[in-house]
Amino acid sequence: MARIMDKIAGRRPWMWALAFAGAMGIIAWFEHRHVLGGIRSLPFVAAGCLFLIPLAKSANNCASASGTLTLAMRRYNRRMMIWAVSYIVLLGTAMSIRNNLDPQGPLLWLIAVLPSLPILFFIWAMVRYLKEETDEYLRLRNTLNALFGLALLLGIGTFWGFLEAFKVVPHVDAWWVVPVWAMGMGLANVFQVVRDRKGDDQ
Amino acid sequence: MRNRLKVLRAERDWSQQDLAERLEVSRQSVNAIETGKYDPSLPLAFRIAELFGQPIEAIFLRD
Repeated sequence: MARIMDKIAGRRPWMWALAFAGAMGIIAWFEHRHVLGGIRSLPFVAAGCLFLIPLAKSANNCASASGTLTLAMRRYNRRMMIWAVSYIVLLGTAMSIRNNLDPQGPLLWLIAVLPSLPILFFIWAMVRYLKEETDEYLRLRNTLNALFGLALLLGIGTFWGFLEAFKVVPHVDAWWVVPVWAMGMGLANVFQVVRDRKGDDQ
Repeated sequence: MRNRLKVLRAERDWSQQDLAERLEVSRQSVNAIETGKYDPSLPLAFRIAELFGQPIEAIFLRD
């Protein structure tokens, strides 16, 4: 099973990252057209997160082929799959409870909190990776990726926030912050990988 | 900062991967140091110097 998954994932993480970013972009476009929005978008975002599983696998394959798969990176990729799968499961559970049981009070609070738990785990996994990575260059590179993601998030958030305040654009739910941050990290990583190919003797 | 890593490596007929394994770092790290994109920390610079049996200042040169 793992071997089949490895074959499907291949060695092109950028392809899966693009699929993930594309899925998020399409959802954003549908939100803009008011076809989706708020809680209706969540199942689609969860489905888009499925791309993170082959993304993690192909990142592992790629790093393994180039001899750069550190122990910390292996752990990070494993944790990434855990959060992606648990996000889908918890979000699905929360959605079905909400749709079928019409909960109120503390239960409503509880199911509203459920989908955010794996996202908090993802943030923790990132922090753990930076602490566990013993290769100083890779640590710096991934720290810069995270900072680029943060800069993109702050930039877009500020820009959109003012447009929203002046009622020029529709409201965007706050849970978009992590997908935007992750997309920023992915973009920065693509840039770094391309830059690092220069002078590589393999 | 410039460095003589590529020359020293070539003298020993080591690939970037060989050097990376000896230093216990990734090949990307060796590549980044060699091409001047990244200056190593002092502990790593000492490890490089020890491996080549030369003082740090003979490997890493000021611009």
